[in-house]
Amino acid sequence: MLILQLLVNGVLLAGMYLLMAQSLNLIFGVMRIVNFAQGTMIAVAGLFTVWLATRVGLNPFLAIPIVFVAMFLIGAVVERALLRRITLRGTQGELMTLMVTFGVSFVLINLALKAWGSEYVSLPYLQSSWRLGPIEFAKSLVIAGAFGTVLSAALFSWLNLTGSGKALLATSQSRIGAGTCGIDAGRMSTLAFALGSALAAAAGTVLVLVTPLGPQSGNDLTILCFVVIALGGLGDYLGAILGALVVGVAQSVLGFYLGGNVQVLLPYILLILIMLFIPRGLSLSRLTR
Amino acid sequence: MDPLAPTPPSAPGSLRSLTRRLTLGGAAGVGWPRHELALGAAFLLAAALTGLLTSGYLLQLATDIFTFMAMAYGWNLISGMTGYVSFGQIAFYGLGGYGTALLILHAHLPWYVAALAAGAVAALIALVLGGVMLRLRGIFFALGMFGLVQILSILFSQWSFAGGGQGLILPGQLTARAVYAETVAVAILAFLLNLYYSRSALGLKAMAIRDDEEAAAAMGVHTTRVKIVTFVLSAIPPAVVAGLVAWNRSYLDPPSMFDPSVDFQAILFSLLGGMGTLWGPALGTVILELVGEQIWAQFPEFQLGLFGLLVVLIVVFFPGGIVSVLRRAGWLRRPVIMAPSTLPEGSPPAPTEEVGRDGPVLEVRGLSVRFGGVTALRDLDLEVRRGETISIIGANGAGKTTLFNAITGFVRPTQGEVRFRGRPIKGWSPTRLARAGIGRTFQIPRPMESMTVWENVLLAALNGRRRHAAVDQAAWVIRALGMEAIWLEPVVNLPPGHRRQVELARALALQPDVILLDEVMAGMNREEQERIRDAIRKLHEYGVSAVAGVEHVVAAIADLCDRIVVLDFGQKIAEGEPQRVLKDPAVIGAYLGEVQE
Repeated sequence: MLILQLLVNGVLLAGMYLLMAQSLNLIFGVMRIVNFAQGTMIAVAGLFTVWLATRVGLNPFLAIPIVFVAMFLIGAVVERALLRRITLRGTQGELMTLMVTFGVSFVLINLALKAWGSEYVSLPYLQSSWRLGPIEFAKSLVIAGAFGTVLSAALFSWLNLTGSGKALLATSQSRIGAGTCGIDAGRMSTLAFALGSALAAAAGTVLVLVTPLGPQSGNDLTILCFVVIALGGLGDYLGAILGALVVGVAQSVLGFYLGGNVQVLLPYILLILIMLFIPRGLSLSRLTR
Repeated sequence: MDPLAPTPPSAPGSLRSLTRRLTLGGAAGVGWPRHELALGAAFLLAAALTGLLTSGYLLQLATDIFTFMAMAYGWNLISGMTGYVSFGQIAFYGLGGYGTALLILHAHLPWYVAALAAGAVAALIALVLGGVMLRLRGIFFALGMFGLVQILSILFSQWSFAGGGQGLILPGQLTARAVYAETVAVAILAFLLNLYYSRSALGLKAMAIRDDEEAAAAMGVHTTRVKIVTFVLSAIPPAVVAGLVAWNRSYLDPPSMFDPSVDFQAILFSLLGGMGTLWGPALGTVILELVGEQIWAQFPEFQLGLFGLLVVLIVVFFPGGIVSVLRRAGWLRRPVIMAPSTLPEGSPPAPTEEVGRDGPVLEVRGLSVRFGGVTALRDLDLEVRRGETISIIGANGAGKTTLFNAITGFVRPTQGEVRFRGRPIKGWSPTRLARAGIGRTFQIPRPMESMTVWENVLLAALNGRRRHAAVDQAAWVIRALGMEAIWLEPVVNLPPGHRRQVELARALALQPDVILLDEVMAGMNREEQERIRDAIRKLHEYGVSAVAGVEHVVAAIADLCDRIVVLDFGQKIAEGEPQRVLKDPAVIGAYLGEVQE
């Protein structure tokens, strides 16, 4: 029964990881860059939520729109003012962009440290749990997992069903092609980066309900997100579901049996193994195609 | 995107490409410009005076500066010169620090010996890690190295022999001045490594990998070997200085020894000075440490954020760094590697060995290449005899480039056999094929963007040759192709026609038995075409067989070649003498469209 419990926890965790990863996927898809500040954005959003809840007394779910809009604006500014100005193409351009987002993450970490200190904090909210037979469903984990899944589904539907979403998807498939159809690729980049940042922030808000976050936890989270999308194949929205499940369940099960350090190490080890041995990921969509 | 797949180089000729900023910027100096000697002397004098005259805070600051300078130079080797940007050189810093501490505590070595020994250990570890990590390209290498640091940090925090999370305490001792002296020595060593890279054949190969790794392999560069050697060398300076830092502080723990923000500072200093340049890391470190020290003192709590902000601002607004500004004034330009002050006469290469003289030079049997469901080549036979020029024609997508890629090891054939001088060569790497004697050009010219014409040609000429022979060979190729007027020109300044000439020159400098010319005359004007046609005619004098793949300029090649092979949808539909083949109705149908009566 224990293993079942661990699996359930892993799947719920995966729901949240999915949202964190899809926001990175969104940015990667359109701009072909990895936002190294992604994890820090998630952590900062989580800490901001804690601050809003404890100091202002705001319900964490009411904090989501505030955090969402704030990070949307930050993302838009970072893209417009900085990333857009990197005119290099190819490998060098990618590396320079990675470097800039690396720098941005240091700025955010520093501001968070200044504002909230280096403590790891969590938000005690919905502490009780539902019971279904022998399985316990921690309320916070269920809510967070469901929230992540629903928002990921919303993102997926927006991309595939609406005009603006399709324009974004088109840009990620071919910038030039999208350009010839009258889609402003520059605007799409801003939108992707801003929306990706905002979704990361939303994920941070619910993540802080289930796990303690600190300003320094950003790098771990960035790598975690990257591993999820790399497992599913970079830029592959459906593949990320599989990636999130693998990482979530592995963390839950291995973390229980082998200890917390393995839980922290796991994404980093997976990162190197995936890139070396299954560089194209598990390629779910290629199998179904 | 595939982490192991070759990444495309920067857009050719793009005015704002970073490599352009790293080029000589026009004039070619040979040897040591006076202002560079002066700068070096100034650094040495300042270092010596600081060591003799200062103590306490100032000496500590100077030690920090040279520590970071050594780290920045280490990073510059692998990331600046070779183009493998690493976010994890701090791994070697940590390994060096821990290695030193353990050697002092358990082997009771003197601190200065322990630090050097730890450097050697880090180099060995880099040798093993490099074989694995350097398979990753671009951002994936950067991320992989970053991940490696986190793994090491956690492992060390669990390893009780190394003090675990508590860290290690070293017996404290007042050796500030001696530590400073050894730190300066390491920084100088790291500088000398960079100097060697900016002046030598090894450095030329490293920079070729940065510019275009695939093209470098096609020029016979042992890319893996060069990358691993560079990686090992780049691991030594951070490892040794970390040992000195650990001894100096007499305390170390995983968070401080594997601190990404320390790495980040070294990267920042390199960027500010100018990454990939010889003087950038030194200038960046000194200036920012001296200026920065004042700023950090004012806002100690914002140090991390200011670093981040600076990196962002430099990358976005000042990507070439200080050196790129100075270069506009003609200072600190990289001399053209191994360029003689005047172009030597050069001598034509000696005739190649007699192996397999009789049979065909190149033989393709039943070759098929499939990409997923697409069959690019189907059951193709082809034979090239010594001294022969054949021409492969066919419409777009007929499979010409795929054929060349399959022969030169860039694409793995699905079926069939390729023999070169009678030996099966299927599965050989592009490097090995280039060195064995198969030269090629790329359909879209891929010269090394940060180099001059001379360096591009020399790169290929260096294959297995000693320095003098390579210079001779390169000079001969330049003269043979009539490129004397542009030999010291950076290739970014060249018009497309000249870029194609560089492609051909590089392939010829390999002194190959066969040259595969992929649309070498496309987009050339008549005069340029004539020059290439002359060159192709001359190839035979040097025992080179030529295979040319052409698409549009059929007339230009028809009178040059002995045979024409026509491809259509991956299959050979005709072969024979030019005049006969070009009149074949099937060929006309496939190539020019059906004849309408």
